Amino acid sequence: MSATQISEQPSTASSHVLHLGKQLADTTTRSPWIDALRRLRRNRAAIVGLIVIVVNVIAAIFAPMIAPHHYETQNILAMNSAPQWVTDVFPKMVPTGETGGYIRVNNDYILGTDSLGRDLLSRIIYGARISLSVAFVGPFFSLLVGTVFGMIAGYTGGRVDNLMMRFVDIMYAFPTLLLVILLMAFFRASFTAGDEGSIAYRLNKIDSAFGGMLFIFIGIGLTSWMDTARLARAQVLSIRQQEYIDAAISIGARDTTIIFRHVLPNILGPIVVAESMAIPRYISFEAFLSFIGLGVNPPTPSWGSMIADGSNALISFPNQAIFPALALFFVMFAFNFLGDGLRDALDPRSNKA
Amino acid sequence: MRKSHKGFVFALVLVVALLLSSTSLITAQETKVLRTAYLPGDVIIDPALGTWMNEIQLVNMMYIGLTTLHETTVEIQPGFATDWSVSDDGLVYTFNLLHDVPWVRYDMGAGEVVQVTDENGNVRVVTAHDFVYGINRTLDPDTGSQYAPTLARWVVGGMEMLAGEDVELGVAALDDYTLEIRTPRPAGYLGMIYGMWMSRPHPQWAIEEYGDAWTEAGNIETYGPYTVKSWEHDVQITITKNPFWPGTDYVPPAIIDDFEFVYLEDPAMLAAFEAGELDWIPTVPLPDLDRMRVEYPDELRITSDICTYYYGFNTIIEPTDNVHMRRALSMAIDRATVVAISNGGQIPAGFFTRPDVAPGLKQEDYPDMAIWSDPEGAKAELALYFEETGTTLEDLPPITLMHNTSAAHAIIAQAVQQMWKETLGIEVQITSQDAQVFNETLRRDAPAVYRAGWCYDYPDASSFIGDVYRSVGPDSNNHTNWGPQEFFDLLDEAAVETDTAVRRDLYAQAEGWLVNEAAAIAPIYYYTTQQMTQTYVDRTYDAARLEKLNTWDINR
Repeated sequence: MSATQISEQPSTASSHVLHLGKQLADTTTRSPWIDALRRLRRNRAAIVGLIVIVVNVIAAIFAPMIAPHHYETQNILAMNSAPQWVTDVFPKMVPTGETGGYIRVNNDYILGTDSLGRDLLSRIIYGARISLSVAFVGPFFSLLVGTVFGMIAGYTGGRVDNLMMRFVDIMYAFPTLLLVILLMAFFRASFTAGDEGSIAYRLNKIDSAFGGMLFIFIGIGLTSWMDTARLARAQVLSIRQQEYIDAAISIGARDTTIIFRHVLPNILGPIVVAESMAIPRYISFEAFLSFIGLGVNPPTPSWGSMIADGSNALISFPNQAIFPALALFFVMFAFNFLGDGLRDALDPRSNKA
Repeated sequence: MRKSHKGFVFALVLVVALLLSSTSLITAQETKVLRTAYLPGDVIIDPALGTWMNEIQLVNMMYIGLTTLHETTVEIQPGFATDWSVSDDGLVYTFNLLHDVPWVRYDMGAGEVVQVTDENGNVRVVTAHDFVYGINRTLDPDTGSQYAPTLARWVVGGMEMLAGEDVELGVAALDDYTLEIRTPRPAGYLGMIYGMWMSRPHPQWAIEEYGDAWTEAGNIETYGPYTVKSWEHDVQITITKNPFWPGTDYVPPAIIDDFEFVYLEDPAMLAAFEAGELDWIPTVPLPDLDRMRVEYPDELRITSDICTYYYGFNTIIEPTDNVHMRRALSMAIDRATVVAISNGGQIPAGFFTRPDVAPGLKQEDYPDMAIWSDPEGAKAELALYFEETGTTLEDLPPITLMHNTSAAHAIIAQAVQQMWKETLGIEVQITSQDAQVFNETLRRDAPAVYRAGWCYDYPDASSFIGDVYRSVGPDSNNHTNWGPQEFFDLLDEAAVETDTAVRRDLYAQAEGWLVNEAAAIAPIYYYTTQQMTQTYVDRTYDAARLEKLNTWDINR
């Protein structure tokens, strides 16, 4: 009896299905996750997004093998150069030799070089590491902290809930961007001059080893979890009303068991969707911070800092800003498409299939 | 004066674009308006407080000094003083001033420049008393003038006054139009120092009435060819022609009615220039130079400059407290490559003092004194450092290279970062700060390596090494924390030496100590100036970079 009831829940979790699978093997009930996957597969935009992301992940992981040059190798003789095809695409970029020509044509670099003669393509490939690590670290923090926080608040209810959510409200009251900028400025200023052996000194060492990304992670981590916490709490509140939770309580299940076995799997769908939609925001966050000079340390390339560098010569050398901007554009689009696809796939109410 | 590419205010571009489009509509045919831009970072136009080139430029148009500098030869010539005499011992300067030059201000209500009157309705004219008040105000430690030490050394009682003692200055008005300045020691270039912006007359009554707000548009009183018409802080400042400036052979009255300065980053500046929205831009972004050379050969002008680009070392923090480390870093900078990257015809520097100022210090003449780019020498110095400290590369404390935010500084910093990595194996971390914050950081705790630039105020070595490295500490411009007394004594000796050849040797010795033996700083290159001016602007180029705006004209 209870088994049928559970399988009829709209977003039943895999854990339930797994231990019920044997009993129901003769029926045609499928896991909703398999269903979702099937729906996702039919969504072309999402699949294109997924492919772009996978390609990027591969490029980021194998950057040293794929990139034709190292990202910090300078070639002063080839600075501000562009290959023939780029000068064809941008009519303002007139190669030397022609009247009004000022572009050094150098076909050794597929996308051209920056003002220190560094290969743009290689820097874009290495730059994917920064953007993608932000794309994974952001949701990781957010899911870890936000979900647990929201679930505890929602499940416990009462005064604890009230207190916890007011804390979220307070965190919300800070303008996020401003808070991150202040945090970055604070970390940078106070950790660069620490005494040897101090925590500040060690943090700074770690930050240097990460190419300046640690503080970006901290900045994003500190500000990204509130959305998830609210969402998780709202989901928990609605699921607490369900009969199967009452059933679990009535058979004497402990709170942790209920939260992690019965509640968590059922709220994961909407949260995953929300997080996948938030990923472009993290990426643009990092790009923005790097653009205003609070991001990664030079010479580590980040798309944001590359766009900032390139924007200084946007008219003379548009390729220096446009190619990293395109990379950013495609990855943001890919995550958006994938997020949309996941939402359609995981939300049965919008089920068109 | 200090040189810097200031700040990073991006939203401003939008605001200014709107502003430009609106002002260009207002521009009537009969008034000549020259539209130009400054790098972001609001100016200070109090003559006692100005330090940046932009600020001096404006002050020079509003307050004419006792003496001025010739536009091309940079030689001393009359300014507000028609002539002057020096006593035989060189200790007393007597200046005869222009008569009946009125103080003026821009009347916002009437929309025109008006003469300032006193409580009895009489026009206030510039007198020797205003000079006495101005110099006293500059040297008052409460005023906080960064240039006060430059002047104080050359006025009897100046140093004491600056130290907070209650003394009578050696500056006196013999009558309304005769000013006497007494100096404790003679020097050949004092006429130029007395002509600098911190030695100008100030309107005592206005300062007492308005306090710190006395330089606001509408309040500020000036007497030179231009005065302030409007000033929206951090957005724009407009100066307008003062019809009451009588004009002299050396400082003629203004021709162009208004100069509008908006604050823009240099890429935005260039874009506005190319769109025809600006008539003159005083700087060109470095990556665009190649295109400018071919697209705007008539508009682009590259001229010699008055500044030196260099890196300073903080000599009291590890590891730059060690002279071998500093020498290694300095020698490992491939200056020819930095110049190639900068692409504006700059000259690699082996001394801090530029070769084109008196007494003509050329690094080729003193090869043992100057610092040269030398990878092998740098490696040897680094080995000495490791030997002396008993450490290895792994133990090296982190080194921060800090610059004020600017695309050009960022590019050079990354080039140098790579040179140090390749030649010495040392990895440094680059950080940048907004100009104001950066200056504060240098004062409080300078990073191991910091970017700096210096421009002379008068063409003499004394205005280079003598002004920056004659003192040390937070209130000076020397943030290296290096400055032994014997070095100061050497500079003092060189400052007053009258024989040019001996003086040159003394300065070479001092430079060698500063840049080579102690390597407290690493000179990188001597600047050039890149400016773009629309062809319908009839202008001159000032060799000392302080453009004589009053001589310009627009012929559309």
